[in-house]
This record gives sequence, C-alpha cells and structure tokens, in this order.
Amino acid sequence: MEGLPILTLITFLPLAGALLVAVLPSRYARPVALGASLAAWVASLLLVIGFSAGRGGLFQFVEKVSWIPSFGIEYKLGVDGLSLVLVVLTTTLTWISILASFKPIQTRIKEYMVAFLILEVGMIGVFLALDAFLFYIFWEIVLVPMYLIIGIWGGSNRIYATIKFVLYTLIGSLLMLVAILATAFAFQDAHGGDWTGAFDFQALREFATTGGGFDPTLQLLAFGAFFLAFAIKVPMFPFHTWLPDAHVEAPTAGSVILAAVLLKLGAYGFIRWTLSLYPYAAQTFAPAIIVLSLIAIIYGAIVALVQPDLKKLVAYSSVSHMGFVTLGIFVFQPQGMAGAILQMVNHGLITGALFLLVGVIYERTHDRTIAKMGGLAARTPVYAAIFGFFVFASVGLPGLSGFVGEFLTLVGTFAVSPVAAAVATLVMILAAAYLLWMFQRVAFGELSGFLAGLGHHLTDISPVEILTLAPLGALVVVFGLFPGILLDTISGSVEVAVRDGASGTAIAIDPIAVAIGLGLVAAVVVVRIVTIPFGRQPAAPAAPAAEGA
Amino acid sequence: MDTLIPLIAALPIAGFLFTAAVGRRLGKRAHIVPVAAVGLSWAIAMVVVVTALTGGLGEDGHTVKLWDWIPAGAFHVEAALFVDNLTAVLLIVVTTVGLLVHVYSIGYMSHDPGYWRFFAYLNLFMFSMLLLVLGDSWLTVFVAWELVGLSSYLLIGFWYRKNSAALASKKAFIVNRVGDVGFALGIMAIWVNTGTLNIRDSINVLTSETLVAFPIPIGLIALLIFAGAMGKSAQFPLHVWLPDAMEGPTPVSALIHAATMVNAGVYLVARANPIFASAPEAMVVVAGIGIFTALLAASIAMTQTDIKRVLAYSTLSQLGYMFAALGVGAWTAAIFHLMTHGFFKGLLFLGSGSVIHAVHEEQDMRRMGGLAKKIPHTYRTMLIGAIAISGIPPLAGFFSKDEILGEAFKLGFAWVWAIGVVVAVMTAFYMFRLIGLTFWGESRVDKAVEPKIHESPRVMTVPLWLLAIPSVLLGLVLAWPGPPLGPLLGQHGPGLLAGWLEPVYHQGLEILGHHEAEFAIFGIDGVLILISIAVATGGMLAAWRLFGVEIGSLRRPATPERVRALSARAPFLYRASLNKWWFDELNHLLFIVIGGRIAAAAWWFDAKVVDGIVNGIGALTKRSGGGLARVQTGRVQNYAFGIAIGLIVMVGSYLMIGGG
Repeated sequence: MEGLPILTLITFLPLAGALLVAVLPSRYARPVALGASLAAWVASLLLVIGFSAGRGGLFQFVEKVSWIPSFGIEYKLGVDGLSLVLVVLTTTLTWISILASFKPIQTRIKEYMVAFLILEVGMIGVFLALDAFLFYIFWEIVLVPMYLIIGIWGGSNRIYATIKFVLYTLIGSLLMLVAILATAFAFQDAHGGDWTGAFDFQALREFATTGGGFDPTLQLLAFGAFFLAFAIKVPMFPFHTWLPDAHVEAPTAGSVILAAVLLKLGAYGFIRWTLSLYPYAAQTFAPAIIVLSLIAIIYGAIVALVQPDLKKLVAYSSVSHMGFVTLGIFVFQPQGMAGAILQMVNHGLITGALFLLVGVIYERTHDRTIAKMGGLAARTPVYAAIFGFFVFASVGLPGLSGFVGEFLTLVGTFAVSPVAAAVATLVMILAAAYLLWMFQRVAFGELSGFLAGLGHHLTDISPVEILTLAPLGALVVVFGLFPGILLDTISGSVEVAVRDGASGTAIAIDPIAVAIGLGLVAAVVVVRIVTIPFGRQPAAPAAPAAEGA
Repeated sequence: MDTLIPLIAALPIAGFLFTAAVGRRLGKRAHIVPVAAVGLSWAIAMVVVVTALTGGLGEDGHTVKLWDWIPAGAFHVEAALFVDNLTAVLLIVVTTVGLLVHVYSIGYMSHDPGYWRFFAYLNLFMFSMLLLVLGDSWLTVFVAWELVGLSSYLLIGFWYRKNSAALASKKAFIVNRVGDVGFALGIMAIWVNTGTLNIRDSINVLTSETLVAFPIPIGLIALLIFAGAMGKSAQFPLHVWLPDAMEGPTPVSALIHAATMVNAGVYLVARANPIFASAPEAMVVVAGIGIFTALLAASIAMTQTDIKRVLAYSTLSQLGYMFAALGVGAWTAAIFHLMTHGFFKGLLFLGSGSVIHAVHEEQDMRRMGGLAKKIPHTYRTMLIGAIAISGIPPLAGFFSKDEILGEAFKLGFAWVWAIGVVVAVMTAFYMFRLIGLTFWGESRVDKAVEPKIHESPRVMTVPLWLLAIPSVLLGLVLAWPGPPLGPLLGQHGPGLLAGWLEPVYHQGLEILGHHEAEFAIFGIDGVLILISIAVATGGMLAAWRLFGVEIGSLRRPATPERVRALSARAPFLYRASLNKWWFDELNHLLFIVIGGRIAAAAWWFDAKVVDGIVNGIGALTKRSGGGLARVQTGRVQNYAFGIAIGLIVMVGSYLMIGGG
C-alpha cells in the first residue's frame, strides 16, 4: 500500500466525482455524487485497515511533493490516529448527507452535488494536510461550497446567515494566515534564512517542542490568531452566534455536515497546530479557554432550553457539546484529550443524526416549530423511536457513544480542577431537561392540530431515511459498548498532543496589557448594550436581491 | 459460573431486543418470550444465589470479566460482572418480584394496545436492574444506574398520550439526574484518588491507612455517592419524582418504584459501606436525611386519597428507614428491610392494581369501600401486606423494622430511634386507613360500576399469593439464628441474613469499631421490641377507630365525623400533609418560573448582546465602507473589507515580528 498515494486518492476522489457530475447531464448527478462519496468512504476504510494503530502517534502514508520551493511550501499529506478517525467520520457523513439530499434538493441538483463533493475535498484535506500553507488552502476551500450550499439551497433568511457565516469565519482564517506566515518567517529566521521546512508541520513541531521553540511574543500573537480562527469554527462562546443562524437557514444535509464535520475542523486545528507549535501560549491561554468552555457548556444548554425551533435547539446543544471538546483539550490530561476526540466523533454521529431527524419532519411539515408539534409517537412510531434513541444518545446515556467521551473529558478535568468538572457535570441535568422537554413536546401527548391537519402527508419515516440513520445508530451503539476501537486508534495521538501541550509553561503576561485589553472588550460590550435597539430583531442586514434565489 | 452469571442479565436484554424488533406483530403472544426470558433468568439466578450463599463462590465473591470497556491508558474500565453475597441477596428480590410482576402483567395489561411494548420495556428494565447489582466497577454500576432511569422513563410515560404521564416520566428522569451528577462526580473523585474504578480495589485503596492524604476527602466522596442514592431512592429533597411516577401502569409501580429500582440507592450505600464507615460525618447525614424522609413521607401518606399515592409515599417512608439504618451503621438491618419491603410493598402495589382493575380504573379511595367480599383474594393478600408493613409480629416487616429501630437505639442514635417510633405509628395508621377505606364499610363505588366489580383473573391473583408467602415468613426465616428459637432463649447467633452479609460488611464494621452487643430478650432488646409492637398496634387501633374495621367478629364502623373534627383541630398540619408540604409548588417556582426566566434572559443576552455585538461590528464596517457600497453589493464589499483588514494586520505583524 505504501506505493499507492492513498491519502491523495481519498482527498481527490470526491473532486473527480465533482468533475464528472459537472460534465454529465444532471440526471446522473445524484448517483454519480453518491458513488464518488461512497468510493471515498471505501478508500478511507481501506486506510483504516492499512493503518498501524500501534504507531498511531506517528504520521503514516506520508506523501510529500515540493510545491513552492522558494518558500519551502510543500504538498504534504499524512495521517495519524486523530486525523484517521476524523477522515472516516467525514467520508461517512458525506455519503449519508448526499443520500439524504436526494429528495429535499430538487433545484440545481448538479451544482449542489458539485458543491458538496468539493466541500468533502476541503474537509478531508484539512485533516490530512501536514503543510501549514496547504492546510490554509484546504481550510478556505471548505468555506466556499458551504457558503453556496446555505446561500442557494437555504431557507428564507439565507443571505443574512451566509454573510455572517462567511465574514465571521473569513476574519478568523485571514488572521490564521497571518499567523502561519509569521511562524514561517520566525522559523526561517531561526534557521539562518533557510526556508526549508518553514511550513512543514513536522519540522515546525520539532523546532517548537525540542529545538528551542518560538519566541514567546510570537507564540502569544500566533496562538491568538489561530485561536480566533478555530474558536469561531468550533464555535466557542462568545463566537458562536453564526451557528444557530447558519443551521436554521441551511438545508438539512448542510446542517448535518456543518455540525458533524465542519465544527470539528476547529477542534482538530487546536489539537494539531496550536498545542504542538505554541505550547507556551497554549499553557498561558488554557485557563481562559477552560472558562470559556465551561460557559459554552452551561450557557449553550440553558439557551437551548428556551428555543422554539428544533434546529436552533440542536444548534445550541452543539455549542454545549463542543464545549466539552475544548475543555478536554485544554486540561492537558490524557483522559481529557481522549475524551475530547471521542466527543468530536460522537457529536458528529449524534448531532448529525439529530439534524437528519429534524429534516425528516421538516420534509413533511415544512415547519420546525416545537410548539406546533406533538403526538408523533402515536402517529409515526418508528420515527419517534429513532428520534428517542438519538435524543438519549445526545443526553449522554451510558451504553451509547456520547457518554464515554463526556465522561473521559470530565475525569480529565476533575484531575485538574474538581470545581470545573463539577460545573461541567451540571450539564447532565440541563441536557436531560432541554432534550427530554423537546422530545416530550414533539412526540408525546395527543396529535397536535397542526400535524393532524397534514392528514396523509404525515407519513412515518421512509426506508431511505432509515438507511441514512441506520449507520449512525449502529456506530453510536458500537462506540458506546466498544469505545476501545477508537481509543486504541487515537491513543498515540493523544499521547503526543498531551506531551506537546504540556511541554510549555505559562508565559507571564503583563497585567496592565491584560487590563487594557479586557477594558477595551468591556467598553465595546457596554457601548453595544447601551445602543441596543430594544424590541427589534438583531440588526439583520437587508438581504440584497441576491443571485440564486 | 462464568456462563451462568452473564446469562442472568443477557436473557432479559435478548428478550427486549427480540420483542422490540418483532413484538408488534405478535399481538397477544408478545409476552411469551419476555416472560420466558425472565423466568429462565430467575432460575439461573437461583442457582447462582444458592451457590453464593452456601459459600460456593468464596468469601470475596466471583468476577466474570467480559471485555475491556474503556481502555484509555491509565483510565481503564472493564466490562465485568461480580457476584458476592450482597449481590446474591439482591438477586433474590429482583428476579423473584420481577418474574411475578411479569406474570401479573399478562393479565393486567391484556387489553392494552401497547402490550408488546410494555413487555419489551419490562425486559429492558430487568436487564438494567440486574446489571446494576451485578456490576463490578463503579462505572458499570453507573451505566446500569442510567439504564434503569431510562427504563423507568419509558414505563412511567408508557401511556404517553396522557400529558400527565409524559410530564411525570420527564420529571423522574431529570430529578434522578440531579442525584446522578453527584454520583458521577463521586466516581471521578474515586478515580482521581485511587486510579481504579473497580469497586473492591478502590475501596481497599481508599480505606487503607498507610496512604498519604487523598486529593479529595473521603467524606466528600461518601456524600457524592449518597447524592446518587438520594436520586434513585427518592430521598428528600429529591423525593418529588416518585409520587408522580405512579402515572405508570401499576405493575411498573410495584416492580420499579417499590421493589427494585428505588432500592438501588440502598444497595449502593451498602456496597460502599467501608467508604461511609471511614466518614462518620457522612453517615450522620445519611441517617438524618433518611429518617427525615421517613417522617415527611409518612405524614403525607396519612391524608392522600389516591390509593397508589398512599403506597408511593409509604415507599418513600420505608426507604427513609433503610437509609436511617445505613446511616447508623445497621447495614444488615437496611438490607433486611429492603428484602422484606420489596416483597410486601410489591404485593401491596400489585394488590392496588387489582383493586383499580376491579373498580374500573378508579384510584380514589373515596370512591371505593366495602370491597372485601367482592375481591376476596385481593383483600386477603393486601391485608397480609398491610399487617406486614405495619410491623405486627410475626410478619416480615416486624423483624426488619424492629431491627432498624433497635440497632439505631443501641448504636447511640436515640433521636433516629425516637423519630422512627413515631413513623412506625404513622405507618400502621395510614396502612389501615387504606385498608379501611378500600375494603371495609359501605361501598362508595360508582353505581354504574358497582355491579361489574369482579376479582382479577388467576394470572394476577396467584402472584399476589406468591408474594404473600414471603411477606409472612421472610422475617422469621432471615432473622433465624440457626438453632430453633435462639433469640427467644436469649442465645445470640447472627441471623441467617447477618451471616450471609458478614463478609460484605466485615471491612466496614472493623473501621466503625462496632461490636455485636449481646442480644438480651429480658433486657434492652425486649423493651425495644415491646415498644415496637405497642406503637404498631397503637397506630392500627387509631386507624380502626377512625376508618372502621371488619376482621372476623372484630367489627367497628368508620367515624368520618371524627376524621373531620381531627383535621379541623390541626388545620395547618392537615393542609400541609394534603398538599405534600408544597414541594411541587416550591419546585415549580424555583425551576419552572425562576429557571425559565433565567433561560429566557440568557437567550435575550445571546441574541441582543453577543450577537448584537457581532452584527454591530458588521454594521460598522458596512458604514465605514460607505463609498464602496454604492458600486459593490454589500456582501462583496464586506468580503473585501475583511481582506483589507487581514492584509494590514499581516503586514503589520511582519514588520513587528520581523523587525523585532
């Protein structure tokens, strides 16, 4: 297998599919797209077979081609345990999403499928890239198709949502580019002007952890830039508000892939790039990130409680669940790190499934208002049973996959700070409250007037819809009972990440600078609160008569 | 053993999976597989129980490792099952009552359209409960702990079209989760302290004296574990879910909310006894909360009119007794009462189900009365249950309750004993009030229903009689000290149960430094027994005086005017009892009204402040790029502005870092 560039194959199989979809008549768009995504999926499963878990902390199947030699930029891909599980998560969720789009997407099918396959290229590329510049390219590639998917096939307020999504993530990623360049400059400076390896993750990591490391100021600034890019993507409080808007407007499959994979890009970035390259800065910022994570966990759950829209509720639950990921990463404990990675995978499976399930009901009702639902258990029992299964998976029922990741994260946190763990554990109550309350209002009681009015349009879940959910359900059970499958794969990466992260010590920061910074933020907040136009919706830019309506 | 023990739990889960998959198509035959699964599981459990209790598994029990569940480096948890004598004793109650409830449900649920679903859920519950008592590590127990919570949720909300049922099921799950947070944190603390989650290994580490100070004090761990126990066993202030749980079908109330699941907390504390023994302060908390719950719940049970709710509050009260026993260090007595209570409360609930069936789904005792002759089997078995729970010798409840009270007194917890005696009066009173209102006196049944009252089919009455047997005899058998009439002759050997549980409690008792006091029938023990009998009789007589009695030639009419006069004499107490001390109202205020406001405020903050700042910044950039906006669409212009900022920062940083 070493001869075959399997990583390139996995990454660009969807691109080949996209090209094929583009040139063939649109009636072939669906099968070809599904075929291409399935091919990438099969290739990723071959990668799993070929992967040596015993050396999971090392990069395997590394491919390296010189790209811009004058700056040492390379086309370099490699896979370790962490990226492996995320690549498989991506390829799995992509074919499921494409299959789930067959019925709902009826306009511009060809363009949609092309966008979706290019999206997959970007996502896989992010997880496999070992060159900082290449990483940035893939990172930006992800943005474009997602922008189109929400902007063209989205709901009524889609333009507002896309602008917000794009601008928000773009600001983060541009700063990240600056940080990448600054890091490369510093690297070549330290190597006497030699650009070799200035963008190579492995060379950078070696320099950062054993070769002297980057200058503290650079670390703080670069980490800050990376942090912004990743924190927006995760999304961490208070950079999360684009997410509910994007979810609400996105088509079902867009929401699925957004929640299941796109949010993981940020968490992956934290583990891969920031811990290894800027360990001192990571240590410095860790307490603040832990606090933000705790806020996200509790605050996301509290806000989820009062959401009137199914998708918004699941979106806020994502904020809460992803808080566990950042929490687990920045406690620098093996259990926390392993828990965070497990949580990434499990959140992908479970929240992906929840968005699919919301899509199922939306297909029939064209509505997602919880208050209009009720009594589905009697009318659509199979749907209600599957929904209930994933609701409990999301609640963190032991035996299903969500529990192990959350519990490991909590154990790792407890070892560092019992108080932080106690705060995070409170979400056990809140998650049960918002999810079960939602489920009760949707599934129990007598059939609501609104649903009864739909008559025979309100059919139970269809075989194709079950087909999209079955693999997710199976994995939720398998990873719940045998999390060792994942843990063995990622154990090497966990070890490396924790070691790298712990190799630094917190940098003393000038308290006056902190005070000035916090003061500025506080001033902005105060000014903004004072100028809130009470009683009006958040200022939504008037949607320009946009293309693709 | 290595195959038998896993089978005990595997059979019900197989039954669940089978019934969940194809049960819908089986119609009225849906019960066959689930009942057979539980029957087989019972038989295997009995083999295991006998082996264990005759010493076949050795003093330290027997572990069956299944697989490495969570192999996360140093955090290593095995999926393993464990049987020792404590587990064996619990297995007797769980499988026996479980099997009888399954059989009873064939009759009780026969007209329900969700027949198959009911049996599927029951099997799921049996699996979860068996896993709970068989779990070898704290985390396995926690898994089962949550799974019984899930089964309970499904079964309370079984009639999900009823809003009250849907609400009650959700309430039960969420309130339980409050306790579970404590339990989960306790497990984390145990791991941080000891590096293992195996129950026995971690206890050995925690209680060994050689070690340096732990990061987390052991008293805190004990309290965290107890928090979990409080949720599942519905102790104050987490007791509010259990009465509402009566929305579930009555067999569920009997099995889950009386005989098995609610005992999980008692089991957990008994299992962790050396941890509690090392933290005497925590034990006082356990005893205090236990006896307070016993008093509170008994006071409410005295005025409730819904037959199932009386039994529910009675269950709370009896569970309170068990925790009081655990708190004073009378662990054998706690498990003793758990067993006897499991049988007679299971009996009482199933009996109440039979009553409810007979009067066509009426649960209000004010619309019952005079049922003794019409449903004789139900009446007789429930009367046995009532005598048993009231503590009249020689029925089962007398022995176990007296042991709790006696031990509490002798171990120096006179206040626990005193409150316990008061609760004993109330227990006898509310039970005979229930019997009086339901079975004796004039019929107050709806005239339309009256002629149709009928005894339940044999598939329901036979389980009643089968439960009546242990309700009568279990106390005598388990307290039996070996040679005939040992205790009465002043000869003290440990009772049968005490002998079984000695290995389990050995370590904890050593830490506590308790030594068995001589049992003196003509001394303190005799006096305590006489007081117990006297108060039980007193409570019973008081109930007879107010609500009548018809046992053989012993006949007295009810005196409702006296009841009215009495409640008018203490209007506050009466209203407090009737309104359950307003806990539901308090919780509504705290969590629905105030909690809802907080959540709404958080959402407002999110939309207006957090998002408002984001949109504000967006609007600001748009305004500042006003000139360009006329030529470009807003979107592209914003994009360009983003790139411009990026470039500026990029160049700036380059100059700054490159130059520095």
